[in-house]
Amino acid sequence: MKKKAGMMPWLFAAMVVLLGVNTANSEETGAQAPPQAAAAVAAPTIVLDKAELNNGGSIKVSGQAPAGKPVFLEVWAEDHTVRANRFDSEVDKETGKRPYVFYITQDMPAYYKTFVPKELQPKIDEAKKKGKKWSYSELLKDLGADVAYTVPAKAKIERYQSTLMASVVGSRGTLLDAMDDKENKKRSMQLVKARFQSIDKVVAAAVDVKPDGSYTADIKIREGLAPGKYTIVAVVDKKVKSEPATFDNKIAFPLVYLENAGTSLNIFYPFFLSLGVAIFGVLMGAGGGFIMNPLLLALFPALPHTIVAGTVTPTVLFSQGSGIYNYSKIKFINWKLGCGIGCAMLLGGFIGPKLTEMITLDQFKFAFGWILLILAALMLWQTTPGYLAKNKKEQSILKEFKKRAEETAKGKN
Amino acid sequence: MKIEFWGQEFQVNMVVGCIGGFLIAIMSSMFGFGGGPFMVPLMTVALRLPMYLVVGSSLLAIFFNTSVSTMRHYQFGNFDLYFFLAMFPAAILGGYIAPQIAKRVSPLVVKRIACLGLVLLALNLLGVY
Repeated sequence: MKKKAGMMPWLFAAMVVLLGVNTANSEETGAQAPPQAAAAVAAPTIVLDKAELNNGGSIKVSGQAPAGKPVFLEVWAEDHTVRANRFDSEVDKETGKRPYVFYITQDMPAYYKTFVPKELQPKIDEAKKKGKKWSYSELLKDLGADVAYTVPAKAKIERYQSTLMASVVGSRGTLLDAMDDKENKKRSMQLVKARFQSIDKVVAAAVDVKPDGSYTADIKIREGLAPGKYTIVAVVDKKVKSEPATFDNKIAFPLVYLENAGTSLNIFYPFFLSLGVAIFGVLMGAGGGFIMNPLLLALFPALPHTIVAGTVTPTVLFSQGSGIYNYSKIKFINWKLGCGIGCAMLLGGFIGPKLTEMITLDQFKFAFGWILLILAALMLWQTTPGYLAKNKKEQSILKEFKKRAEETAKGKN
Repeated sequence: MKIEFWGQEFQVNMVVGCIGGFLIAIMSSMFGFGGGPFMVPLMTVALRLPMYLVVGSSLLAIFFNTSVSTMRHYQFGNFDLYFFLAMFPAAILGGYIAPQIAKRVSPLVVKRIACLGLVLLALNLLGVY
């Protein structure tokens, strides 16, 4: 009992500190620099069929470009930028060392996509075959779309020299010198991938170019993206591009724009979702993050998966904290056992990331899936009458439960 | 170590518990989920503790690692304030409701619910969804 009273203030102090840090983060990132209007001799023209969308939809883009050239459409959200980050721990091919450099920018457009001519679809499909290992810079080069890559290239990227161990607790390490434009552009491509993850989010084959150089494209803007002004530029060559055309994407309450996620969402859904998942998670003795993450990603495909993981974790921390507090009230907690194993887990949590570098995860995922199924079967077996008949302690706990349940029932009468 | 719960005494091998917890943490930090779904079977199957005690103590055990990974996610800028504000009251509420349910239903039912959770994660790892 005394031990319990001593622990509670600490748990709450930890939560208060975390909440304090969280709220300090609500400042907005700066506005995007306006795109350069390149005045070239045979600049393509661009016309949009509407100037406004209501939470996504389809926009028809048409225009005239020099004949016989591919036309790329670079589309981005003008009003909102998001953070993008990447922790580079992959072996450098030249030096053979792991750099452990952390790259972060605040200037990534909340929406960024390149639309390429329709006949390039096979090249996109080919890149998709690589799975998660696809390379954005290679894909752009393959498609010839690197001429249309301008906006994220200008994002100011900061880089930090960190170490693996420091990264576990989230320390960024020391700030390094700024990169030159070329290096900045190269790293920005990696950040685009880190931010948007899937090929479908950054590239689509939608531009229909006629032999005479006129082109049309149906651009689909998904639901749940950032509100505000979007800009489209038709690009033929590095210097040959159209004037920027703009349209507005409108959203209304209960849709709320999420500043860091760069997408918008009906704000009531995550509330009810996390309520259900938290009850289930806490009831089974976990936080519920393992259900929440895949569920959110499946229901709201626009959400970036890093933001989902980074926001669900603190949420789960609160469901665990409040679960611990309430279980402690009904004495379902053994403090020595929980803290002892908790400390052992802390140690393990520091070693895991190091091991991740040495082995591939996919085979292990499969193995752990089966191990979990076996464990679940074992636990289920523990609830069968055959097991209970042999285990006297379980029996007496059950008896005690029935006794207490009857007592509460009587108490109510 | 001896643990008493509702008048029953349970002998717990803390060495097994700690090694298990250590391994679970390595694994879960690699895959990016909390250790909860593995912690529960460790405590029930390997340590043979009663389910009621397991749900509470397992929450406590994984709380430390959740704190650390929260810190990391926050520092790396993967946190969205409005999204969090929409979810965290529900999370706290869930933490109040779940123990009330646990108290009222038989430990057998709680254990079967936990099994369901394990199967869900297993199917996720196996790539079914």
